[in-house]
Amino acid sequence: MQILEEIKISDNGFVFNALTGESFSLNPIGLEIIKMIAANSDFDEIRKTILDKYDVDDLSFEKDFYEFSTMLKHYQLTQQNNPLNFV
Amino acid sequence: MEKLNYEKPIISKITAGVPNKFGLSTKQRIIAEIDSIPVAKLADEFGSPLFVFSEKTIRETYNKAKQTFETHYPKVQFAWSYKTNYLDAICSIFHDEGSWAEVVSVFEFEKALSLGVKGSNILYNGPEKSEENLKLAINHNACIHIDHFDELYLLIKITQEMNKKARVAIRVNLDAGIYPMWDRFGFNYENGEAWSAINRIMLADNLELIGLHTHIGTYIMSALGYGIAATKFSSLMVGIHRKFNLWLKYIDLGGGFASKNTLKGAYMPGSETCPTFDDYAKAISNAIITSEIPHENLPILFLETGRALIDDAGYLITSVLANKRSTTGRRTIVIDAGVNLLFTSFWYNLGVFPSREISDLMEDTTIYGPLCMNIDVIRDAINFPQVKTGDRLVIERVGAYNVTQWMQFITYRPNVVLIDLEGKAHIIKKKESLETLRVNEFNPKR
Ligand SMILES: Cc1ncc(COP(=O)(O)O)c(C=O)c1O
Repeated sequence: MQILEEIKISDNGFVFNALTGESFSLNPIGLEIIKMIAANSDFDEIRKTILDKYDVDDLSFEKDFYEFSTMLKHYQLTQQNNPLNFV
Repeated sequence: MEKLNYEKPIISKITAGVPNKFGLSTKQRIIAEIDSIPVAKLADEFGSPLFVFSEKTIRETYNKAKQTFETHYPKVQFAWSYKTNYLDAICSIFHDEGSWAEVVSVFEFEKALSLGVKGSNILYNGPEKSEENLKLAINHNACIHIDHFDELYLLIKITQEMNKKARVAIRVNLDAGIYPMWDRFGFNYENGEAWSAINRIMLADNLELIGLHTHIGTYIMSALGYGIAATKFSSLMVGIHRKFNLWLKYIDLGGGFASKNTLKGAYMPGSETCPTFDDYAKAISNAIITSEIPHENLPILFLETGRALIDDAGYLITSVLANKRSTTGRRTIVIDAGVNLLFTSFWYNLGVFPSREISDLMEDTTIYGPLCMNIDVIRDAINFPQVKTGDRLVIERVGAYNVTQWMQFITYRPNVVLIDLEGKAHIIKKKESLETLRVNEFNPKR
Protein backbone atom coordinates (compact mmCIF):
# COMPACT_ATOMS: atom_id res chain seq x y z
CA MET A 1 0.00 0.00 0.00
CA GLN A 2 1.40 3.35 -1.02
CA ILE A 3 0.25 6.84 -0.12
CA LEU A 4 -0.08 9.00 -3.22
CA GLU A 5 2.55 11.68 -3.77
CA GLU A 6 -0.06 14.44 -3.82
CA ILE A 7 -1.11 13.71 -0.25
CA LYS A 8 0.23 16.12 2.38
CA ILE A 9 0.28 14.94 5.98
CA SER A 10 0.73 17.54 8.71
CA ASP A 11 2.15 16.80 12.13
CA ASN A 12 -1.03 17.78 13.93
CA GLY A 13 -3.17 15.18 12.25
CA PHE A 14 -4.48 16.82 9.13
CA VAL A 15 -4.31 15.33 5.67
CA PHE A 16 -4.76 17.27 2.47
CA ASN A 17 -5.34 15.69 -0.92
CA ALA A 18 -4.01 18.13 -3.54
CA LEU A 19 -5.69 16.11 -6.30
CA THR A 20 -9.20 16.55 -5.02
CA GLY A 21 -8.85 19.43 -2.57
CA GLU A 22 -10.31 17.30 0.21
CA SER A 23 -9.11 17.46 3.80
CA PHE A 24 -9.16 14.80 6.50
CA SER A 25 -8.43 14.58 10.15
CA LEU A 26 -6.72 11.74 12.01
CA ASN A 27 -6.58 10.71 15.62
CA PRO A 28 -3.03 10.45 17.04
CA ILE A 29 -2.62 6.75 16.39
CA GLY A 30 -4.04 7.18 12.89
CA LEU A 31 -1.41 9.83 12.27
CA GLU A 32 1.33 7.56 13.55
CA ILE A 33 0.24 4.77 11.24
CA ILE A 34 -0.26 6.86 8.12
CA LYS A 35 3.25 8.25 8.59
CA MET A 36 4.65 4.74 8.76
CA ILE A 37 2.76 3.80 5.61
CA ALA A 38 4.05 6.92 3.89
CA ALA A 39 7.57 5.87 4.92
CA ASN A 40 6.93 2.53 3.16
CA SER A 41 6.75 0.38 6.27
CA ASP A 42 4.92 -2.85 5.59
CA PHE A 43 2.16 -4.27 7.74
CA ASP A 44 4.47 -6.50 9.78
CA GLU A 45 6.66 -3.56 10.75
CA ILE A 46 3.71 -1.41 11.62
CA ARG A 47 2.12 -4.17 13.67
CA LYS A 48 5.30 -4.74 15.62
CA THR A 49 5.70 -1.04 16.39
CA ILE A 50 2.12 -0.66 17.55
CA LEU A 51 2.00 -3.88 19.56
CA ASP A 52 5.23 -2.99 21.34
CA LYS A 53 4.00 0.43 22.21
CA TYR A 54 0.28 0.04 22.89
CA ASP A 55 -1.88 -2.23 24.95
CA VAL A 56 -3.62 -4.13 22.15
CA ASP A 57 -3.68 -7.71 20.94
CA ASP A 58 -2.58 -8.90 17.58
CA LEU A 59 -5.96 -9.76 16.06
CA SER A 60 -7.75 -6.64 17.28
CA PHE A 61 -5.08 -4.50 15.75
CA GLU A 62 -5.13 -6.42 12.49
CA LYS A 63 -8.88 -5.88 12.27
CA ASP A 64 -8.60 -2.15 12.99
CA PHE A 65 -5.70 -1.78 10.58
CA TYR A 66 -7.69 -3.47 7.85
CA GLU A 67 -10.57 -1.04 8.42
CA PHE A 68 -8.20 1.93 8.50
CA SER A 69 -6.53 0.97 5.23
CA THR A 70 -9.93 0.41 3.63
CA MET A 71 -10.81 3.97 4.54
CA LEU A 72 -7.51 5.30 3.14
CA LYS A 73 -8.31 3.52 -0.09
CA HIS A 74 -11.90 4.71 0.00
CA TYR A 75 -10.78 8.31 0.37
CA GLN A 76 -8.36 7.77 -2.53
CA LEU A 77 -5.29 8.53 -0.51
CA THR A 78 -3.50 5.38 -1.60
CA GLN A 79 -2.60 3.97 -4.95
CA GLN A 80 -5.56 2.04 -6.30
CA ASN A 81 -4.90 -1.44 -7.59
CA ASN A 82 -7.43 -3.26 -9.69
CA PRO A 83 -9.41 -5.12 -7.04
CA LEU A 84 -10.20 -7.90 -9.50
CA ASN A 85 -6.55 -8.75 -10.09
CA PHE A 86 -6.73 -11.03 -7.07
CA VAL A 87 -3.05 -10.63 -6.36
CA MET B 1 7.79 -0.94 29.87
CA GLU B 2 4.24 0.10 30.66
CA LYS B 3 2.18 0.07 27.45
CA LEU B 4 0.11 3.02 26.31
CA ASN B 5 -3.65 2.97 26.07
CA TYR B 6 -4.73 1.83 22.65
CA GLU B 7 -7.36 3.52 20.54
CA LYS B 8 -8.35 2.37 17.09
CA PRO B 9 -6.87 4.41 14.20
CA ILE B 10 -9.37 6.67 12.52
CA ILE B 11 -9.42 8.99 9.55
CA SER B 12 -12.42 11.12 8.71
CA LYS B 13 -13.23 13.60 6.04
CA ILE B 14 -13.63 17.28 6.91
CA THR B 15 -16.71 18.59 5.18
CA ALA B 16 -16.86 22.28 4.40
CA GLY B 17 -19.82 24.07 5.92
CA VAL B 18 -20.90 21.14 8.05
CA PRO B 19 -19.34 21.21 11.49
CA ASN B 20 -17.08 18.22 11.78
CA LYS B 21 -17.95 16.31 14.89
CA PHE B 22 -14.85 14.19 14.74
CA GLY B 23 -12.59 14.73 17.70
CA LEU B 24 -14.97 17.12 19.39
CA SER B 25 -15.55 16.18 22.96
CA THR B 26 -19.34 16.39 22.82
CA LYS B 27 -19.77 14.19 25.84
CA GLN B 28 -21.50 10.97 24.87
CA ARG B 29 -24.23 10.03 27.35
CA ILE B 30 -23.74 6.63 28.93
CA ILE B 31 -26.46 4.41 30.40
CA ALA B 32 -24.40 2.23 32.70
CA GLU B 33 -27.19 1.06 34.96
CA ILE B 34 -30.94 0.87 35.15
CA ASP B 35 -32.36 1.56 38.60
CA SER B 36 -28.91 0.95 40.08
CA ILE B 37 -28.41 -2.46 38.43
CA PRO B 38 -25.43 -2.47 36.06
CA VAL B 39 -26.46 -3.08 32.46
CA ALA B 40 -23.72 -5.71 32.08
CA LYS B 41 -25.09 -7.62 35.07
CA LEU B 42 -28.62 -7.61 33.65
CA ALA B 43 -27.39 -8.86 30.29
CA ASP B 44 -25.17 -11.53 31.84
CA GLU B 45 -28.01 -12.81 33.98
CA PHE B 46 -30.96 -12.56 31.59
CA GLY B 47 -29.36 -12.54 28.14
CA SER B 48 -29.24 -10.10 25.26
CA PRO B 49 -31.33 -8.61 23.81
CA LEU B 50 -33.35 -7.89 26.94
CA PHE B 51 -36.29 -5.63 27.66
CA VAL B 52 -36.07 -3.99 31.08
CA PHE B 53 -38.87 -2.09 32.80
CA SER B 54 -38.54 0.15 35.82
CA GLU B 55 -41.41 -0.06 38.30
CA LYS B 56 -40.12 3.13 39.90
CA THR B 57 -40.35 5.09 36.66
CA ILE B 58 -43.83 3.72 35.92
CA ARG B 59 -45.18 4.79 39.30
CA GLU B 60 -43.41 8.16 39.24
CA THR B 61 -44.66 8.98 35.75
CA TYR B 62 -48.20 7.89 36.57
CA ASN B 63 -48.30 9.94 39.75
CA LYS B 64 -46.88 12.97 38.04
CA ALA B 65 -49.57 12.79 35.37
CA LYS B 66 -52.33 12.17 37.89
CA GLN B 67 -51.28 14.95 40.25
CA THR B 68 -50.84 17.39 37.40
CA PHE B 69 -54.33 16.74 36.05
CA GLU B 70 -55.86 16.84 39.51
CA THR B 71 -54.45 20.29 40.17
CA HIS B 72 -56.37 21.54 37.12
CA TYR B 73 -59.55 19.48 37.20
CA PRO B 74 -61.51 17.97 40.11
CA LYS B 75 -62.41 14.54 38.73
CA VAL B 76 -59.81 12.62 36.77
CA GLN B 77 -59.65 8.89 36.12
CA PHE B 78 -56.95 7.16 34.09
CA ALA B 79 -57.76 3.93 32.25
CA TRP B 80 -54.68 1.94 31.26
CA SER B 81 -54.51 1.49 27.50
CA TYR B 82 -53.86 -2.25 27.28
CA LYS B 83 -52.65 -2.24 23.70
CA THR B 84 -49.75 -0.02 24.68
CA ASN B 85 -48.34 -2.68 26.97
CA TYR B 86 -50.42 -5.57 28.24
CA LEU B 87 -47.85 -7.60 30.10
CA ASP B 88 -49.57 -8.72 33.31
CA ALA B 89 -46.91 -7.27 35.58
CA ILE B 90 -47.11 -3.86 33.89
CA CYS B 91 -50.92 -3.67 33.90
CA SER B 92 -50.96 -4.71 37.55
CA ILE B 93 -48.81 -1.73 38.51
CA PHE B 94 -51.21 0.67 36.77
CA HIS B 95 -54.22 -0.99 38.40
CA ASP B 96 -52.47 -0.87 41.77
CA GLU B 97 -52.10 2.88 41.26
CA GLY B 98 -55.83 3.12 40.62
CA SER B 99 -56.09 2.93 36.84
CA TRP B 100 -59.09 1.39 35.19
CA ALA B 101 -58.61 -0.71 32.04
CA GLU B 102 -59.12 0.48 28.46
CA VAL B 103 -59.39 -2.49 26.12
CA VAL B 104 -60.03 -2.90 22.40
CA SER B 105 -60.52 -6.65 22.03
CA VAL B 106 -61.99 -9.55 23.91
CA PHE B 107 -58.47 -10.84 24.53
CA GLU B 108 -57.64 -7.60 26.35
CA PHE B 109 -61.02 -7.66 28.10
CA GLU B 110 -60.39 -11.14 29.45
CA LYS B 111 -56.85 -10.20 30.43
CA ALA B 112 -58.17 -7.26 32.46
CA LEU B 113 -60.77 -9.46 34.18
CA SER B 114 -58.13 -12.07 34.96
CA LEU B 115 -56.01 -9.37 36.62
CA GLY B 116 -58.88 -8.59 38.96
CA VAL B 117 -60.24 -5.47 37.28
CA LYS B 118 -63.96 -5.09 37.96
CA GLY B 119 -66.04 -5.28 34.77
CA SER B 120 -67.60 -1.91 35.54
CA ASN B 121 -64.06 -0.43 35.53
CA ILE B 122 -63.36 -1.56 31.98
CA LEU B 123 -63.80 0.78 29.02
CA TYR B 124 -64.44 -1.39 26.00
CA ASN B 125 -63.36 0.37 22.78
CA GLY B 126 -62.78 -0.61 19.20
CA PRO B 127 -64.69 -1.51 16.05
CA GLU B 128 -64.42 -5.27 16.61
CA LYS B 129 -67.02 -6.54 19.05
CA SER B 130 -68.98 -9.66 18.22
CA GLU B 131 -72.39 -10.52 19.66
CA GLU B 132 -70.68 -12.90 22.04
CA ASN B 133 -68.14 -10.24 23.10
CA LEU B 134 -70.91 -7.72 23.73
CA LYS B 135 -72.80 -10.21 25.88
CA LEU B 136 -69.68 -10.76 27.96
CA ALA B 137 -69.32 -6.99 28.37
CA ILE B 138 -72.98 -6.55 29.31
CA ASN B 139 -72.78 -9.35 31.86
CA HIS B 140 -69.78 -7.67 33.43
CA ASN B 141 -71.42 -4.26 33.38
CA ALA B 142 -68.52 -2.78 31.38
CA CYS B 143 -68.66 0.64 29.72
CA ILE B 144 -69.20 -0.18 26.06
CA HIS B 145 -67.94 2.51 23.71
CA ILE B 146 -70.02 2.12 20.56
CA ASP B 147 -68.08 2.58 17.32
CA HIS B 148 -70.75 2.50 14.59
CA PHE B 149 -74.48 2.15 13.92
CA ASP B 150 -74.25 -1.60 13.25
CA GLU B 151 -72.86 -2.08 16.73
CA LEU B 152 -75.53 0.21 18.17
CA TYR B 153 -78.36 -1.80 16.57
CA LEU B 154 -76.75 -5.08 17.56
CA LEU B 155 -76.63 -3.83 21.17
CA ILE B 156 -80.31 -2.82 21.05
CA LYS B 157 -81.18 -6.31 19.85
CA ILE B 158 -78.99 -8.15 22.37
CA THR B 159 -80.10 -6.13 25.39
CA GLN B 160 -83.74 -6.78 24.46
CA GLU B 161 -83.08 -10.52 24.16
CA MET B 162 -81.12 -10.62 27.39
CA ASN B 163 -83.56 -8.24 29.03
CA LYS B 164 -80.55 -6.48 30.54
CA LYS B 165 -79.26 -2.95 30.53
CA ALA B 166 -75.97 -1.97 28.92
CA ARG B 167 -73.92 1.04 30.00
CA VAL B 168 -72.73 2.76 26.86
CA ALA B 169 -70.81 5.72 25.51
CA ILE B 170 -70.22 6.62 21.90
CA ARG B 171 -66.90 7.03 20.20
CA VAL B 172 -66.88 10.38 18.44
CA ASN B 173 -64.51 11.59 15.77
CA LEU B 174 -64.12 15.31 15.44
CA ASP B 175 -62.03 18.01 13.87
CA ALA B 176 -59.64 19.12 16.59
CA GLY B 177 -57.26 20.73 14.13
CA ILE B 178 -55.16 17.57 14.17
CA TYR B 179 -54.06 15.96 10.93
CA PRO B 180 -54.55 13.29 9.88
CA MET B 181 -58.05 13.35 11.38
CA TRP B 182 -58.89 9.92 12.71
CA ASP B 183 -62.37 9.82 11.22
CA ARG B 184 -62.58 6.08 10.65
CA PHE B 185 -63.56 5.39 14.24
CA GLY B 186 -66.83 6.36 15.81
CA PHE B 187 -69.51 8.84 14.84
CA ASN B 188 -68.65 12.21 13.35
CA TYR B 189 -69.32 15.32 15.42
CA GLU B 190 -69.37 18.01 12.74
CA ASN B 191 -71.86 16.36 10.38
CA GLY B 192 -74.37 15.53 13.14
CA GLU B 193 -73.82 11.79 13.09
CA ALA B 194 -72.80 11.73 16.76
CA TRP B 195 -75.95 13.66 17.71
CA SER B 196 -78.09 11.18 15.73
CA ALA B 197 -76.47 8.24 17.50
CA ILE B 198 -77.09 9.87 20.87
CA ASN B 199 -80.76 10.40 19.98
CA ARG B 200 -81.13 6.77 18.95
CA ILE B 201 -79.52 5.55 22.17
CA MET B 202 -81.82 7.75 24.26
CA LEU B 203 -84.80 6.01 22.64
CA ALA B 204 -83.50 2.54 23.55
CA ASP B 205 -84.89 1.35 26.87
CA ASN B 206 -81.99 -0.91 27.66
CA LEU B 207 -79.13 1.41 26.80
CA GLU B 208 -77.90 3.78 29.46
CA LEU B 209 -75.82 6.57 27.95
CA ILE B 210 -73.11 7.47 30.45
CA GLY B 211 -70.30 9.07 28.48
CA LEU B 212 -68.62 10.39 25.36
CA HIS B 213 -65.35 9.09 24.01
CA THR B 214 -62.82 10.27 21.45
CA HIS B 215 -59.22 9.60 20.60
CA ILE B 216 -57.97 12.34 18.33
CA GLY B 217 -54.76 10.58 17.31
CA THR B 218 -51.45 9.60 18.76
CA TYR B 219 -48.27 11.55 19.56
CA ILE B 220 -50.26 14.79 19.45
CA MET B 221 -47.85 17.71 19.71
CA SER B 222 -50.56 20.30 20.22
CA ALA B 223 -52.30 20.63 23.57
CA LEU B 224 -54.75 22.93 21.82
CA GLY B 225 -56.33 19.98 19.97
CA TYR B 226 -57.45 18.54 23.30
CA GLY B 227 -58.99 21.87 24.24
CA ILE B 228 -61.00 21.86 21.01
CA ALA B 229 -62.18 18.29 21.61
CA ALA B 230 -63.16 19.11 25.20
CA THR B 231 -65.10 22.18 24.04
CA LYS B 232 -67.02 20.14 21.47
CA PHE B 233 -67.80 17.46 24.05
CA SER B 234 -68.99 20.09 26.51
CA SER B 235 -71.40 21.40 23.85
CA LEU B 236 -72.70 17.88 23.27
CA MET B 237 -73.19 17.41 27.00
CA VAL B 238 -75.09 20.67 27.26
CA GLY B 239 -77.22 19.65 24.24
CA ILE B 240 -78.01 16.28 25.79
CA HIS B 241 -79.02 17.93 29.05
CA ARG B 242 -81.20 20.47 27.26
CA LYS B 243 -83.04 17.80 25.28
CA PHE B 244 -83.10 14.84 27.67
CA ASN B 245 -82.47 16.40 31.08
CA LEU B 246 -79.46 14.16 31.56
CA TRP B 247 -75.94 15.06 32.61
CA LEU B 248 -73.49 12.45 31.30
CA LYS B 249 -71.12 10.96 33.87
CA TYR B 250 -67.92 11.23 31.89
CA ILE B 251 -66.03 12.43 28.91
CA ASP B 252 -63.12 10.32 27.77
CA LEU B 253 -60.50 12.12 25.71
CA GLY B 254 -58.58 8.95 24.85
CA GLY B 255 -54.80 8.79 24.61
CA GLY B 256 -52.35 10.50 22.34
CA PHE B 257 -50.10 12.60 24.60
CA ALA B 258 -46.63 12.69 23.06
CA SER B 259 -43.81 10.85 24.81
CA LYS B 260 -40.30 12.30 24.90
CA ASN B 261 -39.19 10.21 21.95
CA THR B 262 -38.03 12.05 18.84
CA LEU B 263 -40.09 11.57 15.72
CA LYS B 264 -38.21 10.74 12.53
CA GLY B 265 -37.63 13.89 10.54
CA ALA B 266 -37.94 16.12 13.62
CA TYR B 267 -35.12 18.61 13.96
CA MET B 268 -35.29 19.04 17.71
CA PRO B 269 -35.32 16.16 20.21
CA GLY B 270 -38.77 15.22 21.50
CA SER B 271 -37.63 15.81 25.07
CA GLU B 272 -37.39 19.53 24.16
CA THR B 273 -40.52 19.87 22.07
CA CYS B 274 -43.31 17.68 23.41
CA PRO B 275 -45.95 19.37 25.57
CA THR B 276 -45.94 18.61 29.29
CA PHE B 277 -48.80 17.00 31.21
CA ASP B 278 -49.42 20.48 32.53
CA ASP B 279 -49.95 21.90 29.02
CA TYR B 280 -52.47 19.19 28.15
CA ALA B 281 -54.23 19.46 31.52
CA LYS B 282 -54.62 23.22 31.25
CA ALA B 283 -56.04 23.08 27.73
CA ILE B 284 -58.58 20.40 28.68
CA SER B 285 -59.72 21.76 32.03
CA ASN B 286 -60.06 25.34 30.74
CA ALA B 287 -62.33 24.12 27.98
CA ILE B 288 -64.61 22.14 30.29
CA ILE B 289 -64.66 24.54 33.21
CA THR B 290 -65.44 27.58 31.03
CA SER B 291 -68.26 25.72 29.24
CA GLU B 292 -71.95 25.98 30.19
CA ILE B 293 -71.81 22.80 32.29
CA PRO B 294 -72.69 23.75 35.90
CA HIS B 295 -69.91 23.05 38.35
CA GLU B 296 -71.85 20.38 40.23
CA ASN B 297 -72.44 18.49 36.98
CA LEU B 298 -68.87 18.49 35.72
CA PRO B 299 -68.15 15.13 34.13
CA ILE B 300 -65.37 12.80 35.19
CA LEU B 301 -62.46 13.24 32.81
CA PHE B 302 -61.21 9.86 31.60
CA LEU B 303 -57.78 9.60 30.03
CA GLU B 304 -56.52 6.55 28.17
CA THR B 305 -52.95 7.78 28.06
CA GLY B 306 -50.61 5.08 26.75
CA ARG B 307 -47.18 5.96 25.42
CA ALA B 308 -46.64 9.04 27.61
CA LEU B 309 -47.05 6.87 30.72
CA ILE B 310 -44.87 3.91 29.80
CA ASP B 311 -42.30 4.83 27.11
CA ASP B 312 -39.74 6.17 29.59
CA ALA B 313 -39.95 3.12 31.84
CA GLY B 314 -38.84 0.65 29.15
CA TYR B 315 -35.29 -0.05 27.95
CA LEU B 316 -33.86 -2.55 25.52
CA ILE B 317 -30.37 -3.85 26.25
CA THR B 318 -28.66 -5.07 23.10
CA SER B 319 -25.15 -6.21 22.11
CA VAL B 320 -22.86 -5.24 19.25
CA LEU B 321 -22.43 -8.12 16.82
CA ALA B 322 -20.19 -6.47 14.25
CA ASN B 323 -18.59 -3.29 12.98
CA LYS B 324 -18.59 -2.84 9.21
CA ARG B 325 -17.84 -0.32 6.50
CA SER B 326 -20.38 0.11 3.74
CA THR B 327 -19.29 0.49 0.12
CA THR B 328 -19.47 4.25 0.62
CA GLY B 329 -17.08 4.02 3.55
CA ARG B 330 -19.82 4.73 6.05
CA ARG B 331 -19.51 3.12 9.44
CA THR B 332 -22.24 0.64 10.23
CA ILE B 333 -22.74 -1.54 13.24
CA VAL B 334 -24.90 -4.62 13.60
CA ILE B 335 -26.68 -5.23 16.90
CA ASP B 336 -28.60 -8.25 18.15
CA ALA B 337 -32.02 -6.51 18.29
CA GLY B 338 -33.99 -5.97 15.11
CA VAL B 339 -37.03 -4.01 14.03
CA ASN B 340 -39.16 -7.06 14.82
CA LEU B 341 -38.62 -6.19 18.51
CA LEU B 342 -38.71 -2.44 18.00
CA PHE B 343 -41.83 -1.55 16.13
CA THR B 344 -41.46 2.05 17.29
CA SER B 345 -38.16 2.39 15.41
CA PHE B 346 -40.30 2.92 12.30
CA TRP B 347 -41.58 6.16 13.89
CA TYR B 348 -38.82 7.38 16.12
CA ASN B 349 -35.12 8.04 16.06
CA LEU B 350 -34.70 5.96 19.19
CA GLY B 351 -31.94 6.95 21.59
CA VAL B 352 -29.10 4.41 21.57
CA PHE B 353 -26.37 4.70 24.18
CA PRO B 354 -23.22 2.81 25.20
CA SER B 355 -23.28 1.24 28.64
CA ARG B 356 -19.70 2.11 29.56
CA GLU B 357 -17.16 4.82 28.87
CA ILE B 358 -15.67 4.22 25.47
CA SER B 359 -13.66 6.49 23.24
CA ASP B 360 -14.82 10.05 22.70
CA LEU B 361 -14.37 9.64 18.97
CA MET B 362 -17.74 9.97 17.36
CA GLU B 363 -18.62 9.06 13.83
CA ASP B 364 -21.78 9.19 11.79
CA THR B 365 -23.07 5.63 11.94
CA THR B 366 -25.88 3.42 10.73
CA ILE B 367 -27.17 0.84 13.20
CA TYR B 368 -28.59 -2.35 11.73
CA GLY B 369 -30.47 -5.15 13.41
CA PRO B 370 -29.61 -8.83 12.87
CA LEU B 371 -32.53 -9.83 10.64
CA CYS B 372 -31.57 -10.87 7.13
CA MET B 373 -33.77 -8.12 5.73
CA ASN B 374 -32.92 -4.78 4.23
CA ILE B 375 -35.57 -2.95 6.25
CA ASP B 376 -33.88 -3.89 9.49
CA VAL B 377 -32.45 -0.48 10.35
CA ILE B 378 -32.62 0.74 13.95
CA ARG B 379 -30.97 4.11 13.25
CA ASP B 380 -30.06 5.28 9.77
CA ALA B 381 -27.85 8.09 11.04
CA ILE B 382 -26.56 8.57 14.55
CA ASN B 383 -23.37 10.18 15.78
CA PHE B 384 -21.91 7.31 17.72
CA PRO B 385 -18.64 6.41 19.46
CA GLN B 386 -16.47 3.46 18.49
CA VAL B 387 -17.71 0.19 19.97
CA LYS B 388 -16.44 -3.36 19.94
CA THR B 389 -18.24 -6.64 19.38
CA GLY B 390 -19.88 -7.74 22.59
CA ASP B 391 -20.30 -4.19 23.91
CA ARG B 392 -23.72 -3.68 25.50
CA LEU B 393 -25.81 -0.79 24.28
CA VAL B 394 -29.03 0.54 25.75
CA ILE B 395 -31.98 1.77 23.71
CA GLU B 396 -34.18 4.02 25.79
CA ARG B 397 -37.89 4.92 25.78
CA VAL B 398 -39.16 1.68 24.32
CA GLY B 399 -41.85 0.94 26.90
CA ALA B 400 -44.85 1.59 24.65
CA TYR B 401 -46.13 -0.70 21.89
CA ASN B 402 -42.93 -2.69 21.37
CA VAL B 403 -43.78 -5.59 23.67
CA THR B 404 -47.28 -5.80 22.21
CA GLN B 405 -46.52 -5.31 18.52
CA TRP B 406 -43.27 -7.29 18.41
CA MET B 407 -43.05 -10.05 15.90
CA GLN B 408 -41.57 -13.45 16.31
CA PHE B 409 -39.23 -13.78 13.34
CA ILE B 410 -36.32 -16.19 12.77
CA THR B 411 -35.50 -16.31 16.45
CA TYR B 412 -37.04 -16.21 19.91
CA ARG B 413 -38.47 -13.12 21.51
CA PRO B 414 -36.27 -12.27 24.50
CA ASN B 415 -36.78 -12.12 28.24
CA VAL B 416 -38.55 -9.13 29.70
CA VAL B 417 -37.60 -8.13 33.23
CA LEU B 418 -39.05 -5.70 35.71
CA ILE B 419 -36.91 -3.99 38.32
CA ASP B 420 -39.08 -3.62 41.39
CA LEU B 421 -39.05 -0.81 43.93
CA GLU B 422 -36.46 -2.64 46.02
CA GLY B 423 -34.12 -2.76 43.04
CA LYS B 424 -34.60 -6.46 42.38
CA ALA B 425 -34.99 -7.75 38.82
CA HIS B 426 -37.73 -10.28 38.00
CA ILE B 427 -38.49 -12.01 34.73
CA ILE B 428 -42.01 -10.93 33.80
CA LYS B 429 -42.05 -12.63 30.41
CA LYS B 430 -39.79 -15.50 29.65
CA LYS B 431 -37.79 -15.85 26.45
CA GLU B 432 -39.51 -18.07 23.91
CA SER B 433 -38.22 -21.54 23.15
CA LEU B 434 -38.72 -24.14 20.46
CA GLU B 435 -41.38 -25.78 22.64
CA THR B 436 -43.33 -22.63 23.43
CA LEU B 437 -43.35 -21.64 19.78
CA ARG B 438 -44.42 -25.08 18.63
CA VAL B 439 -47.14 -25.60 21.17
CA ASN B 440 -49.88 -24.75 18.67
CA GLU B 441 -48.27 -26.32 15.61
CA PHE B 442 -49.44 -29.59 14.12
CA ASN B 443 -47.64 -31.59 11.49
CA PRO B 444 -49.89 -34.07 9.63
CA LYS B 445 -46.89 -35.65 7.89
CA ARG B 446 -45.38 -37.04 11.07
C1 LIG C 1 -58.86 4.32 21.78
C2 LIG C 1 -57.45 4.51 22.19
N1 LIG C 1 -57.17 4.93 23.43
C3 LIG C 1 -55.89 5.11 23.85
C4 LIG C 1 -54.81 4.87 23.02
C5 LIG C 1 -53.43 5.11 23.55
O1 LIG C 1 -52.80 6.10 22.83
P1 LIG C 1 -51.39 6.74 23.23
O2 LIG C 1 -50.41 5.64 23.41
O3 LIG C 1 -51.06 7.60 22.03
O4 LIG C 1 -51.58 7.55 24.47
C6 LIG C 1 -55.06 4.44 21.71
C7 LIG C 1 -53.95 4.20 20.78
O5 LIG C 1 -54.05 4.13 19.59
C8 LIG C 1 -56.41 4.27 21.28
O6 LIG C 1 -56.69 3.85 20.03
